[in-house]
Amino acid sequence: MNSVVKPAPLSLADFNRTDCLIYGIGNVGRQDDGLGWAFIDWLETAGICPEAEMVRNYQLFLEDADLISHKQKVLFVDATRDSDVEAFSLQPASARLDFTFTSHAISIPAIMATCQLCFDTQPAVYVLAIRGYEWALQEGLTAGARANLERSIAHLTL
Amino acid sequence: MSRKLVIDPVTRIEGHGKVTIQLDDSNRVTDARLHVVEFRGFEKLIQGHPYWEAPMLLQRICGICFVSHHLCGAKALDDMVGVGLGSGIDMLPTPEKIRRLGHYAQQLQSHVTAYFYLVVPEMLFGMDAPPEQRNVLGLVEQNPALVKRVVALRKWGQELIKAVLGKRMHGISSIPGGVSKNLSAEERDRFLLGEEGLLSIDEVIEYAQDGLNLFYDFHEKHREQVDSFAVVPSLDMCLVNDEGNVDYYHGKIRILDENKNIVREFDYHDYLEHFSEATEEWSYMKFPFLKQLGREKGSVRVGPLARMNVTKSLPTPLAQAALEKFHDYTGGRSNSMTLHTNWARAIEIIHSAELIKELLNDPDLQNEQLLMTPAENDWTGEGIGVVEAPRGTLLHHYQANKEGAITFANLIVSTTQNNSVINRTVQSVAEDYISGKAEITEGMMNAIEVGIRAYDPCLSCATHALGQMPLAVSLFDAEGNVVDEQRR
Repeated sequence: MNSVVKPAPLSLADFNRTDCLIYGIGNVGRQDDGLGWAFIDWLETAGICPEAEMVRNYQLFLEDADLISHKQKVLFVDATRDSDVEAFSLQPASARLDFTFTSHAISIPAIMATCQLCFDTQPAVYVLAIRGYEWALQEGLTAGARANLERSIAHLTL
Repeated sequence: MSRKLVIDPVTRIEGHGKVTIQLDDSNRVTDARLHVVEFRGFEKLIQGHPYWEAPMLLQRICGICFVSHHLCGAKALDDMVGVGLGSGIDMLPTPEKIRRLGHYAQQLQSHVTAYFYLVVPEMLFGMDAPPEQRNVLGLVEQNPALVKRVVALRKWGQELIKAVLGKRMHGISSIPGGVSKNLSAEERDRFLLGEEGLLSIDEVIEYAQDGLNLFYDFHEKHREQVDSFAVVPSLDMCLVNDEGNVDYYHGKIRILDENKNIVREFDYHDYLEHFSEATEEWSYMKFPFLKQLGREKGSVRVGPLARMNVTKSLPTPLAQAALEKFHDYTGGRSNSMTLHTNWARAIEIIHSAELIKELLNDPDLQNEQLLMTPAENDWTGEGIGVVEAPRGTLLHHYQANKEGAITFANLIVSTTQNNSVINRTVQSVAEDYISGKAEITEGMMNAIEVGIRAYDPCLSCATHALGQMPLAVSLFDAEGNVVDEQRR
């Protein structure tokens, strides 16, 4: 399996605008589930994309449809358990009312569909999924997850 | 052959749960139980931690009503350091008002979530509608204008929580003896007047009335179903002020019977004198009850329906008008109609918005006196906090040693208080919808869920666990053999 699944032709430089959003999803108290936030941490520390709005959250909420409705371009960054993803995948996302809603979770396609139906607009949305391995109640990424994070950063900063 | 029906777990409630219904040879319901089978053990986890960590750590039980846990823990710590109401000392006005502001913001946000995201789709599409339609995304498709207003309401509540508590989730502002920040005039004006992308408080109050109007409309069209669904008499309990009206942040515990006679009224610091907790091997959730009345007669109902039953009036005009209509409907007796919990919740959405407006106009919120610093010998080492969380009366009780490490913690959350009445609700619905029927239908399963969901139960809080909920139904015979099973 390739380390990069269908990479979109995208660079972080494309997001350095005030109408762009980079949204890290996860929980830093659950090991590799903190990958999304770690990506945002790296951006802030390195001073990359200072113009973009950065958000860290545990999960998506329906209100995120309102948030993305004010943006032209959005990058969601999340950890993935998908063993088909060796290191990371970067793909555009499409709106779809997939009826996944619970009060604890809603999908990115459903957020996009809500944005379209309620706010009559749709930003370009990309999803960076970084492979993680351990999810226990513990802080800190595993070495493998950190390596995958670095590979995703290298890809996006080329 | 007698049979057992299992709904495992129940969808669209917070946390895991499973329902079993025992049928006899004639398919009549003989028993019904809500099993809570997850365990997390926050009361144990906090032991050994510094006392001041408790409100920060224990709020992480929940991603929905974390402000309630945070404030309840802060009230317990006020007692512990010797500046709380347990020591007979009133808190300074500004920190109490700041805490109340955060509390009302969370009630608004939490009730809006429960009501519009989980209940309204059921009202609009019907109890028997397919699950893929009967949720908020179905609502997005059918009525995006309404969802846009709901999203704006929730966003406003979350922004206010962030301004008051310091973070959108799991805030940090309440500390022993007070709060770490006030609300600046600029912050106040954002919420009073609104800004681009953020409602004004007057718009919030206008939008908040959508919920009540939806209920009235639904009730008008489906009065028989709403009024007859799971009528479950119970004692009702909530915090009240000196006038006998609900106080969401502080007060005495008052318990009323069906005729609104006061059964008990006491300082919550004395809860152990009045309450005991039973356990069952089939559930990790305990069953609190009034000791003197015993397990069967002494269980209570808490939450919106209980509060609207107990309170004599409400101090804000729109909520008071709605409450009068609510009280008139049952002619002065307590309302035991389970689906009227949604009526009560809709009233509380409006009440929260009105209470927030009052506070935003209070100049005390900009005061700089935020903290009472106790003398070292005021340390009591023990504290009890109680608040009215969105789902009902919530209690935190801590003890700490001289070094300040927590040695004991007891949490009685709203859903635990409601455990017995939820089980009776399940039994009532099962008798009405399942008795005499030979096969399990989607509508039957959902009727059980509707009954449970009216309490907006947070099983993750009640057992201190969290999770997601697919649905499975199994049918057992008297010997425990599975004779039928359905999943979705």
